[in-house]
Amino acid sequence: MADPKLQVALYWGAACGGCDVAVLDTDEFILTVAEVADIRFWPIAVDGKYADLEAMDDGELDLTLFNGAIRNSENQYVAELLRRKSKVMVAFGSCAHLGGIPGLANDASREEIFHRAYLDNPSLEEGNVTLPVTEKKVASCTLEIPRFYRRVHKLADVVAVDYFVPGCPPAPTQVKAVLLAVVQGALPPIGSVVGAGERTLCDECERRKEEKKVKRFQRPWQTIQDPDRCLLEQGIICAGSVTRSGCGVRCPDSGMPCRGCYGPAPNVHDQGAKMISAVASIVDSRDPDEIATIIGEIPDVMGFAYRFGLPASTLQQSVRSL
Amino acid sequence: MKDKCRIGVYICNCGTNIARVVDCEQVCQEVGTLPGVAVARAYKYMCSNPGQEMIIHDIKEQMLDRVVVAACSPRMHEPTFRKALEASGLNPFMLEMANIREQCSWVHDDPQSATRKAIDLTHAAIRRVQLHEPLEKQEAPYTPTTLVLGGGIAGLTVAMELAEAGQQVILVEREDRLGGNVGRVDLTAPYLDSARDILTEKIVRAEASPRVEVLLNTRLTELKGFVGNFTATVEDDTGLAGDRAVGGVVVCTGYRPFDAGRIGSLGYGRLPDVITSFELEQQLRTGKLKTRDGKTPRYVSIVHCVGSRNARYHTYCSRVCCMTALKYGHEIKSAIPEAMITDVYVDMLSFGKGGEDLYRRTSELKTMFLMYEKEDYPKVRSAEPEDDCGMLLQVREKLSGVTIDVPADMIVLMVGMEARHDGDEVARVVGISQDAEGWFIESHPKLAPVSTPTDGVFIAGACQSPKDIPDTVAQARAASAMILAYIAQGKVEVDARFAEVDEDRCSGCRMCNELCPYTAIIYDDETGRSAVQSALCKACGTCVAACPSGAIKARHFTDEQIIEQIEGVLAWGSNQPS
Amino acid sequence: MGFEPTIVGFLCNWCSYTGADLAGTARIKHRPNLRVIRVMCSGRVDPTFVVKAFASGADGVLICGCHPGDCHYLEGNYKTLRRFELLKRLMLAYGIDERRLRLDWVSASEGERFARLVDEMTEKIQPLGPFELGPAFQNGTDLGLVEGITPTPEVSHG
Repeated sequence: MADPKLQVALYWGAACGGCDVAVLDTDEFILTVAEVADIRFWPIAVDGKYADLEAMDDGELDLTLFNGAIRNSENQYVAELLRRKSKVMVAFGSCAHLGGIPGLANDASREEIFHRAYLDNPSLEEGNVTLPVTEKKVASCTLEIPRFYRRVHKLADVVAVDYFVPGCPPAPTQVKAVLLAVVQGALPPIGSVVGAGERTLCDECERRKEEKKVKRFQRPWQTIQDPDRCLLEQGIICAGSVTRSGCGVRCPDSGMPCRGCYGPAPNVHDQGAKMISAVASIVDSRDPDEIATIIGEIPDVMGFAYRFGLPASTLQQSVRSL
Repeated sequence: MKDKCRIGVYICNCGTNIARVVDCEQVCQEVGTLPGVAVARAYKYMCSNPGQEMIIHDIKEQMLDRVVVAACSPRMHEPTFRKALEASGLNPFMLEMANIREQCSWVHDDPQSATRKAIDLTHAAIRRVQLHEPLEKQEAPYTPTTLVLGGGIAGLTVAMELAEAGQQVILVEREDRLGGNVGRVDLTAPYLDSARDILTEKIVRAEASPRVEVLLNTRLTELKGFVGNFTATVEDDTGLAGDRAVGGVVVCTGYRPFDAGRIGSLGYGRLPDVITSFELEQQLRTGKLKTRDGKTPRYVSIVHCVGSRNARYHTYCSRVCCMTALKYGHEIKSAIPEAMITDVYVDMLSFGKGGEDLYRRTSELKTMFLMYEKEDYPKVRSAEPEDDCGMLLQVREKLSGVTIDVPADMIVLMVGMEARHDGDEVARVVGISQDAEGWFIESHPKLAPVSTPTDGVFIAGACQSPKDIPDTVAQARAASAMILAYIAQGKVEVDARFAEVDEDRCSGCRMCNELCPYTAIIYDDETGRSAVQSALCKACGTCVAACPSGAIKARHFTDEQIIEQIEGVLAWGSNQPS
Repeated sequence: MGFEPTIVGFLCNWCSYTGADLAGTARIKHRPNLRVIRVMCSGRVDPTFVVKAFASGADGVLICGCHPGDCHYLEGNYKTLRRFELLKRLMLAYGIDERRLRLDWVSASEGERFARLVDEMTEKIQPLGPFELGPAFQNGTDLGLVEGITPTPEVSHG
C-alpha cells in the first residue's frame, strides 16, 4: 500500500501574500509537492472554510505553514485551531517568526492607528467617515468582524511553534529545502530555525570587505556606490552583518542594503540591540558632537533596528511591557 | 550544568565593617536557599587564615566546585581567595566576589536597604559563578633580541645597556648617522660638558660591539606578533626589506624642533641673523660666532619659549630651553667676551641638579634679563642706519610694563620640542598611542613612565615628552632593565581572559579588526574569518559587544554570565507586587 | 513609603569601579539604589544588556567609563559613546523617559563625584515611578498571556 500523502495546510495571518507567492515561486517543485502531499487548506489558492478545519481530528494535519503575524482575534483563532489540528506547526516567514513589518505598528496605539486609517488621511472624502465596529446587528443577524488587538504578536506568542522559517519572504530555494526535509522526515530538533544558514549574510556576500570606519551614513540614492565593496563600508546602512544567512544575499547583490528580514544570527538574542552596537561601533569619530551628528543622520531608529522584529524584541517580550 | 553546581557562599562580616550595617546572617539565610548553593556561612574575617581554611575545608568536605565570597571589593582580595581555591585544587577562576563593603556597608546607613542590596549582589554572584569555566594560565617564550628604534642618546644608551648585559640588539636609525639631536649640540647644560664627548664614546662602543647590529638609513615598517614573539620588518633607503625576530621594542625616536618661521613677528626667515638654538649650536661647534655678513656680533638676544607655553602652538613647556639659553650666555661670552647679552624670557625654569647654580653664574656674566608675558612675543625688525646695531627687538617688559627696543646683531630663538612628523606612523606600526600633542603615551606617568599599554613595547627619551639628557638616559636605562627582566624569565604570561572567535560563527564581516585598539584580531583572507591573537588581547571586550554574529566570546565576561548577573540583581525586585 | 527605583550600573574596572570603591574608602554616603555589575571596559557594554536590564526589572540603567582619552584600553569608552548615541534614540522611540538611561565618566579618583551621580540619578528617576514603555506600547494584552497560553521558552525565540 502506498504511503499516505502528507496532509498540509498553509494559512496567512496579518500578511501580504508574499510568503504564499514564495511557495508558488518554487515553480515546478510545487508539482512534486502535489504528488506527495494533500493541501487541505490554503486560502490563497483553494476554496475552504474554517468549518473544514474544525471538522478535522486533532493532529490530522501533518504540517501547517503559518505565515503572517497575529494582529486580530481571527488570526489567533485560526492559529490555535491549526495548532490543535497539526502535528507540526511552522512559523513561516518574518511575520510569523518575529512579527514582521506589521510589527512596526506596535509603536502606535490602536487609537492612533484607527485615527489615521479612518479619520485623518488624505484619501478620505469630506464628511464620509466610517468607523469599524466588531458587532453590528443587521436585519436578521449579527455581523461580526475580528477584534483588532492593541498589539501585533508573533506566532509563538500564541501557540507552541515547532519550526521557524525566516525571511520576507523565505527564499524559494529555502522553501524547497524545507519542504523536501519534511517530505524526507529529515527535520532537526524541535524549536530550530530551518531554511537558513548558521552565520550572517557577510559570510555569503561577495562584496569586498576592507575597513569598517564610517564618517557619514547615507541612503542608497545619495551616493554612487561601488558595486564590489561592502555597502556598510560605503556608509550605506546594511543589516547584513547582523542578519542570519541563507537568503542568497539577493538584496546586496542587487545594489540594495540588507534590511534584516532573516532575523538575528543563531546565538544573538536581540537583533536590534546588536545592530545598534555594530553600526555605532564603526562610526569614525571621537568627538561627542560629531558622533551625535553622524548618528543623527539615521532617520528612523526603530525601523532601522527592528524593521522585522519589533514584537520579538527583548523589551516587547518582557512581561513588564504588558 | 546549573543543577549540578555545588557552590560555597561566604558572607564576610569584616569585623564590624560590614556587619555594622549589613545583616550578614540574613544574607546567609536568604541566599542559602538558592539553587546550586551547597553551603552558606557568615564569618568574621574571610581573608584571615581561618577564613581561608574554612573555604578550603568546605571545598574538600562538601565537594564544592565553585565559591562566592561576599566581602570587600574584588580589587582588594580577589587574588587572596583565588589562591585559596588553588590551594584546594580548584581552578582559581571558579570564584566570584560580591562587593558588600566599599560599595555597600561603607556607603549606606540604612540597615534594611543595605542588607537588601547585599542580598541582591550576592544573588547575582551566585547566578554568575554557575557559568564560570576553568581558565588556564598561558605562557609563551621570550626572544632575547631587542629592537631599538632610534640611534640618538636614548637609543644608544639602551643598546649599550643590553649589549653589556650580554644581549643582542638591532639598532634601527632612520638617518645616515647615529647621534640624533644631541649630535647637533656643542656643550650641554648645566656643567658645560662636551656633547661630542658624551656621544662619541657611545657611538664608538655601539658600532664596535658584536652584539649590536646598527642599521642606518633604515625604518621599521611593520611589527607583528606579541610580547616576546614579534616579527619586525625593517626597510632601508634602497627598498631592501627583511624580517627580524625580536622579543621587545624600545622606541627612542626623539623629537624635532619647533619651526620658528611660524611666528612671523620674531623674524625668522625674514631677517638672516635671527637664528634658532640649533643653528647657534652649529656655529658654536666651529668656534666662530659671526653674523651672516661675517661680522662679530656685539649685541646678542636670546628669546625663550618660542613655540612653547602658548595656546596657539604648544601649551607645554619644552623643559630644556631655559637652561640651554643660560648655557648660551656662557658660550657666547666665552667666544666674544665683550658681547652684550639680553635674555628675553617668560619664566626662568632652571631646575634640578646644578640648575640654580647655572642661573646664578649666568647672571654674574652681566647678562640682562628681560621678562615678557607668555604669548606676547617680542617683535623683531631691521634697525635704522643711525642705530648702532643690526636689528631691534621690541619687548613689552612685563614687570615694568614699559616697551623697550633692545639692540641686537644676532637673535637666538629657543625653539621648543615638538613630536616628530612621523610620530603617527611609528605609533601605528608599533601599536602605541599618542597624546593630543603627539608624544607617545606611557602606561602611567608616575609609576610606569617607560612602559606602554602594549606589552613588550617601551618608550624612552624625548619621544615620550620633552626632556633633558639626564632624564633621557635614566629612562633608557629603565627600559633596558625592564627588557632584561623579561629576558631573565625567558617567558611571558598571557592573560587567560582573552577573547576568542568561534570560527563556526564568524561571518568575516571584519567589524572587529578595526575596533581592537591592540590590533589583536587578524583577518585571514583565505578562510574569510577573523581570529584573536590571544597574547595580544587585553580582554577589554569591545569586540564582543560589537560582533554582529555574536561569534566572539569574552572569557570570564561572557554575555551569558553578565545576563545572569543582571537577572540576579533584579530577581527580588521583580518578584515584588508592583 | 515612596517608590525606590532599582538602577543597574555597568562600571568599568579601571576607572569607575575604582572610583566607586573610593567613595567607599572615603565613607561618602549615597543612595542605596544602585546595583553594580563590573566589566573590564565600558566598551564591553552591549546594548543588549541595557534592554535586558530594563526588561528584567531595572527602573534605570547607568553606564560608567573612564573619561574620554583616559580609557585603560585606549578607546573603549569612545565606542561606548557612539553606541550610547544610538541606544538613546532607540529608548526614545520606545517611549522610555531619557532620565532612566545615563552614560557618565568617573575616574579612579572621583569618589565624591560617583556618590553624587548615584544620588542625582536616583532622585531623577524616583518621580517617574517604575519602568514603563511609552503610552503606545502600554497596550496591555488582548491575548490572555497572563492567564493562559505560555509557549515554551525554547520555541519562542526562534
